[in-house]
Amino acid sequence: MISIAPEVAKITNAIAPSELTQEQTALEMNKLNLFYGDKQALYNIDMKIPKGKVTAFIGPSGCGKSTLLRCINRMNDLVDICRVEGQIKLDGKNIYDKDVDVATLRQNVGMVFQRPNPFPKSIYENVVYGLRIQGINDKRRLDEIVETSLRKAALWEEVKDRLNDSAFGLSGGQQQRLVIARAIAIEPKVLLLDEPTSALDPISTLTIEELINDLKDTYTVVIVTHNMQQAARVSNYAAFMFMGELIEYSDTNQLFTTPAKKKTEDYITGRYG
Amino acid sequence: MKNWFKSGSPWIWMTAGAVSISLISVIGLLAMIAWRGLSFFWPAEVYEFDIKQNGQSTVVIGEIYDKEQVAAERLRNAGIDLAGYDAEFVDRYLVKTGNREFVELDFRWILDTDIQQKTTKSGIAVIERTKNGNFYGYVHSVYQDGVKVDNSKLEELIERSSDIAEEALDLQNSEIAAINYDLERDRLKQRALELKGELTQEIKDEFKAKKLRLEEDYQVLEKSLFALRQKADRDEVVIKDMRGELVRIRIAQVLDIHFPNDMSLLDKVGRFFVQMGKFVSDDPREANTEGGVFPAIFGTVFMVLLMAVIVTPFGVVAAIYLHEYAAKNAVTKIIRIAVINLAGVPSIVYGVFGLGFFVYMLGGSLDALFYPEALPNPTFGTPGVIWSALTLAILTLPVVIVSTEEGMSRIPSSLRQGSLALGATKAETLWRIIIPMASPAIMTGLILAVARAAGEVAPLMLVGVVKMAPTLPLDGNFPFIHLDRKFMHLGFHIYDVGFQSPNVEAARPLVYATAFLLVTVIVSLNITAIGIRNHLREKYKSLEH
Repeated sequence: MISIAPEVAKITNAIAPSELTQEQTALEMNKLNLFYGDKQALYNIDMKIPKGKVTAFIGPSGCGKSTLLRCINRMNDLVDICRVEGQIKLDGKNIYDKDVDVATLRQNVGMVFQRPNPFPKSIYENVVYGLRIQGINDKRRLDEIVETSLRKAALWEEVKDRLNDSAFGLSGGQQQRLVIARAIAIEPKVLLLDEPTSALDPISTLTIEELINDLKDTYTVVIVTHNMQQAARVSNYAAFMFMGELIEYSDTNQLFTTPAKKKTEDYITGRYG
Repeated sequence: MKNWFKSGSPWIWMTAGAVSISLISVIGLLAMIAWRGLSFFWPAEVYEFDIKQNGQSTVVIGEIYDKEQVAAERLRNAGIDLAGYDAEFVDRYLVKTGNREFVELDFRWILDTDIQQKTTKSGIAVIERTKNGNFYGYVHSVYQDGVKVDNSKLEELIERSSDIAEEALDLQNSEIAAINYDLERDRLKQRALELKGELTQEIKDEFKAKKLRLEEDYQVLEKSLFALRQKADRDEVVIKDMRGELVRIRIAQVLDIHFPNDMSLLDKVGRFFVQMGKFVSDDPREANTEGGVFPAIFGTVFMVLLMAVIVTPFGVVAAIYLHEYAAKNAVTKIIRIAVINLAGVPSIVYGVFGLGFFVYMLGGSLDALFYPEALPNPTFGTPGVIWSALTLAILTLPVVIVSTEEGMSRIPSSLRQGSLALGATKAETLWRIIIPMASPAIMTGLILAVARAAGEVAPLMLVGVVKMAPTLPLDGNFPFIHLDRKFMHLGFHIYDVGFQSPNVEAARPLVYATAFLLVTVIVSLNITAIGIRNHLREKYKSLEH
């Protein structure tokens, strides 16, 4: 069975996701369908993602959890044959409306990928990349943001003396934290993490998990993971997906201890997946 | 045997053999060109031959250029008396005798059997002259301003005259050339005003006054030029040539004198490098058969750099469109195939296109629009360095496009997504991430383009290269860079010296030397580009994904 981290046990009496008020909701998906050409990848997803909490998407490979995550910052637009129906509301505004500027949306919804992807620039330039894109070039302000972002990403102490060195000199775990610092430097409302620790060693994974725990006070975090222990450790809410459908979505403790659906139970007890 | 085939050894041998053959070809080619080219600068020994031919004795002084074997039978058939010689082959030497004004040809073949005696006598001088090539002989006496002086003063006198000659040349190329340039510009300005109908009597007078002033300046300069020339032409040297006659040579015509038979090895090495330096820094003389090739080196490098400046932005922009923005459909595919095939079109076809489109159409229109005052003399409507650079830019465009595109497709998509996820637009991602990271690939394209362009001669013959360009495309007269000028090119120089020259034997070592130089120039251009590329690679090396 699954061992549940003690801090998760503290939030057993959390509000059910369906009962979240407008105030408490960061993202709301309505009848979201997604197609790759003729093939449908997501079926009628309806969910509310709470503000200031960590929400995990779990499910077997190919279940559509990453696809769903990529809908939130419209990364799927890059795929020519991809078509989305339905709505995702960020603060009440549908992000798939025609008048939405994708670049601005992505400034509000940051994303960290499976593998660390620092740019071939210095550590400093990596962190300020998003700011320079926004036209911020004031040296003092950039310095300040670099420090706070790296501190938040728990990387400052390790790199403060070599900010102008290439980001490629860092270890995998450090690179992933750098990428997180880069994402939070532009102060997004929502931070999407797409299996952020799957390419890292256990110790780096632990550091990142602690970091996620710290981040939820400031940001709404959505994390995709196929590591159930990780989902149990870091998330407040968890959504189980299977074959493009949202099977079950509740607070993490409930999902892992008393799943309502048979498929969820089968998955978390390791019967398949 | 079967097992041997199975083991793959024959395959390995075959592949290794292919590599060895390529390697040997490259090294052999370079070694031959280098040897033949560089030996041209070595101060070879000068021999004195005593020759007895058909009962007549003569003395020949000269350098041995070549040696070959001729069948004795053939010589006998040609009616040459080989009495007392019964071997099957006879050695024959090609000797450069110089002294062009006294012999029909400054090269002659001498049969080994005719040579009574071959010595390297001390005191034989080799004199390089501004006209008529080298002179060989013994220094007899030296006259300074008509007064006989000691022979040891000769070198001092030669130095003096060449210093003065240089001064005169400077005067001619800078100040006098500038006045001529000004006069021509004023003429064109006046003509332009006339065409516009704005030429008033007042302006005309102004021009006239200026012209007079310039002409006065010119008179002064010309006078001092003549004075310099007269000053230089003061001394004489008397040489005893191989016929035993005394020949008077004006020292003003002597560029250099050396005594190869009396030189130590160290002297020879020194002279070797001095001669090499002169070859790359001097202007050509005597229909390109003597002197250096500086204008050709300058023209080649200038044209190639100009081409690189033109081709890089065009190629990169085209590659960005094809790779990033063009829809992925049949039309794009056809365009891409067309671009790749463009690289296979024979270069002379580009030359014809360049002549027809750039020179006549584009250049002609430019002349009609901006330089009507010079007509009927064309300014841009004639072959020139800019049209050569443009023609070669089109020729090398496919290389740059293809390698840039390849470089862009090698960039991991995670970096692109990372940039987009931070709120960058596609254009910002291109500008800040994709292009810098593709820059090593762009440099690779440029390296290939430069290598190809520097070696092309055929299209240039139609769009701008000349045998002898009086001025460089870069000089001290405003606007300093003259893109309309014709230029000299090492590749064409090789062709011209080797095959169009009146004196083929004299030109042959020059051909090798120039070829070696061309290879050196291309290699150094490439090494520079490779250095830049490696630097960029180091800077933008991405993670192994």
